[in-house]
Amino acid sequence: MNPRVCILQTDGTNCDRETAYAFMRAGGNPRLVHINQLRARSVRLADFQILAIPGGFSYGDDVASGKILALELTTFLSDELRAFVEAGKLVIGICNGFQVLVRTGLLPFRELGKMSATLTHNVSGRFQCEWVRMVVEQGSPCVFTRGMESEISLQIAHGEGRFFASPETLVQIEERKLVALRYAPHNPNGSENAIAGVCDPSGRIFGLMPHPERFVDPLQHPNWRSRWMEPPHGLKIFQNAVAAARNL
Amino acid sequence: MIYTIRVASIPAHDSAGRALHRTIENALGILMLTAVRVVTVYRLEMEGLGSEQAEQFALRVLVESIDQTWSLNAPLLMEGQRTVEVAYKPGVMNPAAASLMKVASDFRLTNLKAVDVSTEYTFYGQQVSRAQIDEIVARLLVNPTVSQVVKNEPTTLLIEGVRGSVTTIPLGGMSDEALMALSRDKLFLSLEEMQAVQSAFTDLNRDPTDVELETLAQTWSEHCSHKTFNAELIVDGCPKPSLMERLKGASRRHASGVLSMFHDNAGVIPFYDGQAICGKVETHNSPSATAPYGGAATGSGGVFRDIMGTGLGARVVLSTDMFCLGPWDLKSELVPPGCLHPGHILREVVRGVGDYGNRMGVPTANGSFHFHEGFRAKPSVIVGAYGIMPETCVEKGEPRVGDKIIVLGGKTGRDGIHGATFSSAAMTDRTASVNANAVQIGHAIEEKRTMEALLACRDAGLIRAVTDCGAGGFSSAIGEMGAKTGVRVWLDRAPLKYSGLHPWEIWVSESQERMVLAVAPEHVTAVLEICVSLNVEATVLGVFTDLHRLVVLYDGVVVCDLEMEFLHHGMPKRTLTAKWQPFSLAQSIVINVPRDNDNDSWCALYKRVMAHPNVCSREPIVRRYDHGVQGTNVLPPYGGCKGDAPNDAVVLRLLPGKPYGMVVSHGINPVLNQIDPYAGTLWAITEALANFVAVGGNPVKGEAAFIDNFIWPAPTEHWLGALDRAVDACVAAADAFGLPFVSGKDSLSSTYRGKDGTVIDIPPVLCISVFGRIPDVAKTMSTDFKYPSSKIILLGKLDGYDFGGSVFYDLHGQLGTSVPQVDLKLLPRIFRRLHELIVAGEILACHDVSEGGVAVTLAEMCFGGNIGADIDLTRLGHGPIARTVFFSENPGCFLVEVPPGVDLEKLLGDLPWFMIGQTMVEQVIIGRTGPYSGFKITLEDLRAAWKNPMREVFP
Repeated sequence: MNPRVCILQTDGTNCDRETAYAFMRAGGNPRLVHINQLRARSVRLADFQILAIPGGFSYGDDVASGKILALELTTFLSDELRAFVEAGKLVIGICNGFQVLVRTGLLPFRELGKMSATLTHNVSGRFQCEWVRMVVEQGSPCVFTRGMESEISLQIAHGEGRFFASPETLVQIEERKLVALRYAPHNPNGSENAIAGVCDPSGRIFGLMPHPERFVDPLQHPNWRSRWMEPPHGLKIFQNAVAAARNL
Repeated sequence: MIYTIRVASIPAHDSAGRALHRTIENALGILMLTAVRVVTVYRLEMEGLGSEQAEQFALRVLVESIDQTWSLNAPLLMEGQRTVEVAYKPGVMNPAAASLMKVASDFRLTNLKAVDVSTEYTFYGQQVSRAQIDEIVARLLVNPTVSQVVKNEPTTLLIEGVRGSVTTIPLGGMSDEALMALSRDKLFLSLEEMQAVQSAFTDLNRDPTDVELETLAQTWSEHCSHKTFNAELIVDGCPKPSLMERLKGASRRHASGVLSMFHDNAGVIPFYDGQAICGKVETHNSPSATAPYGGAATGSGGVFRDIMGTGLGARVVLSTDMFCLGPWDLKSELVPPGCLHPGHILREVVRGVGDYGNRMGVPTANGSFHFHEGFRAKPSVIVGAYGIMPETCVEKGEPRVGDKIIVLGGKTGRDGIHGATFSSAAMTDRTASVNANAVQIGHAIEEKRTMEALLACRDAGLIRAVTDCGAGGFSSAIGEMGAKTGVRVWLDRAPLKYSGLHPWEIWVSESQERMVLAVAPEHVTAVLEICVSLNVEATVLGVFTDLHRLVVLYDGVVVCDLEMEFLHHGMPKRTLTAKWQPFSLAQSIVINVPRDNDNDSWCALYKRVMAHPNVCSREPIVRRYDHGVQGTNVLPPYGGCKGDAPNDAVVLRLLPGKPYGMVVSHGINPVLNQIDPYAGTLWAITEALANFVAVGGNPVKGEAAFIDNFIWPAPTEHWLGALDRAVDACVAAADAFGLPFVSGKDSLSSTYRGKDGTVIDIPPVLCISVFGRIPDVAKTMSTDFKYPSSKIILLGKLDGYDFGGSVFYDLHGQLGTSVPQVDLKLLPRIFRRLHELIVAGEILACHDVSEGGVAVTLAEMCFGGNIGADIDLTRLGHGPIARTVFFSENPGCFLVEVPPGVDLEKLLGDLPWFMIGQTMVEQVIIGRTGPYSGFKITLEDLRAAWKNPMREVFP
């Protein structure tokens, strides 16, 4: 039985379908689930092995990006969420999903309800859609980036992706090797320490600004006609998640 | 009691402030500011006292202590030179406020009555004057039609009003002058039409209500009824079939395979695997002229809804944008009174299209920008959308008696009233104040969830028919849906944003993000349940009857009772006269061509061509649009090794994991229609198809279709003469290429009339879009050169004589008199052959020749590969032509990269082609003008010239 993936939707979620496809391609069994279904308990988070919060503009990113969905999760689903991560199940937040996870406190230190980092407006002050290069931090406990090539390319598409935390927090993040992906050589949004993706200390909760679901097939790269890249760099992240969830 | 909470990010994170500071310096040249800070202001109106609650709400929801500071009922940043707060005017859609009300209700903050969100700007710098800050506020921050400076603390946020009433208009016995006075600024009907309404009600022995009159004005507006395109036409004294008949006639001849054309919201053609694709392109010129951000955003939102409302509902998969604007650096004194500066319009329309598409999750991946002084009073803002749906959902059902009318999505407010009639009217210096209501603000998140609810209902088989609420609001949507049966509407059931609307306002309001469904009674509950589960409001508003009348009730009283027959067929048919006389154009043309061996002049000219407003790179704009969302894009707008080389069209793989592709391109060149509308039209169509073919589109019957958008100054005799020729050219092209027009739109009111008698006509615009399907996205082409030592082939017939409307002439201050000609016999052969070569993998790169000519095409291909080129200009033609033909803009010509050693005769046969040079490792372009002469320029120089102009507008 393929691991079940809960692809969380709410008002303004818009990368849900391609994220579901990415999991399907990686051998997962994704299902699109609206937050209202979880809140009404008509669908139970406990029935899944992976929770994916996809990209988009949840509730229009009003107040702050991902803020209102994060409030909803920590207010109405905190017990379910806590049980989910304590069972060692996997959580991934992509772009808006990363913003949500940071605002729930699940990233970087898995402290539900306590926010210790943020993702704020890009230094450029505008939305940016471009392909960026990153290094995969080899010493990170991140389950999702295991065995990946050391350098990858993915597309970013965000206006609020600048990772920020206090200097003390940053030191902790670095010491505990929670940085899984780092922009290099070019830092597109002014993130502290060029952070593109972080995990929690267990490595089973992961958030990243770039969109791995937009590169699960070689044809999705803008220059596949001159440079064929296989396997596509985003696919491994979903395969790793599915592989880790098989043991649950 | 109102509690005011101000929130600011720490200075290092105030990107909005920094971006505004840069824009002030770039756009206004005000350099005295040392900083600008942006503060978000939340106002919470609570029942009774609630300061503790307000504080808790702030801490929990509004403020993030990690990098923000805040204040309650007190100023926040006090050390600045001046602070100005800008807020939406009461009643204007404010999406953030709606989101906060949701949070409040989640947290059971029941004594919260209303929320408002606004922005405070604090300006720093001792040297800056009060007048300068006023200028910043007026030119960049406030748009008087939707927003205002907050001068006093508001006493309430609630908009209250007396429940509106219905007025009877004493039409009987009105003189012609009185009829026209009633029509002006409000109904925009002609005297003939007003008389038809008058006589109809005289026959009924009563006067119309305002609801009835408004309904007729909306339904009979140019925008909704295409009066001009459907009119009988007398051209130069001879009767000709209407423009619409000619276009439709040509399309019917080439419609094999087309699933739906001209009668639905969008044209539909088959895709693969039981799916169909649809396309629609709209204009939103008038709203974008007065409120460019909201106008462009709701332009996108509106055309997305057109797709959503096609057949039984389609999913939106692509957004496109084509803009014709005044020069972004136009001197302020040249901006006509009552109009916004073109630079401001440019920045705002880009922000509008980006915000809507990005939020809705629709990739914006094809578009273009054209700059010309003729658009300084009224821009042409063209937005397109494409969708996918099961083939079984292509045809709407016919509503049956007893079916319910359900409205889905946003609430109704006063926004966008008179949009349909307004867009059909000429713009004047009174436009901004009289038509303030016509402006709409979009709420993309509302539209996204409405689309999901609609498609869920469609997939569950619950929908009989669907249409969008666009121009004319409920009056058009419901009036049209019930045309064959009759409807009864309970207007008081419509969910409102605030009280105090008159019934006629509710009826014609163009509040965004609403869809109207016809649902069989047994499915109503299921539809409502789906909507609730997705946070979408849905209301049963009426019922279909068999009375063939449009009956509207408000509080149980009939406020509108019109015969469907009169509403839809009672409008007097027009006969229009058109007269074609060629434009009088200056004949003496003086052109300086660099001498063969004058390297410096060649390089300077080359760079000027690359930096021309209609050539320079649009990448900074495209990067503001999410063109990768949905994961479908397999040929992005910009590619190549540095990601800065433009591609000719977009290719989307719509079904994940399947090889099938949709190709979308367009062609537009408003300048050429000023010289010769026939040749200019052929140019636009050829350009659109050339872009389509260059990436791998298949330009044959059954695989592709056209969409037309005519944006003309006015339906005067003279301009109708030009329009008549343009339509004839469309028909000739449809026949030559064997492709149909499946959807189209005309907007014939882009003339500005100033108080002082100034009249500004836009250059007549025809935008042609092409969309089609291909079986394998792996067999497509990008523009970047792939290898050094490849052969560079010019495919097509380049003529060195017709430079009218070219960038080359424009740089010499000339318009010219003859437009590049198109060979309609030859072109289909070239297109077909090129398509075969791409599918067979015989060529490495391909890029069509367009604005700026071969010079630009070549440079862009070099940028993409970071590869140089050595070309022999004498191969392009002989004698003096050799020197200018490099800049010739013949449509339907291509530069093609072919591997060395290929037999070109075998590849291209008797088609016109020349081997003009080869690619090379060195990153330069060498142009040889003779055995010992020519020029050499680095890619770096060309790239800088090409990239700098737009970087200044969009830093």
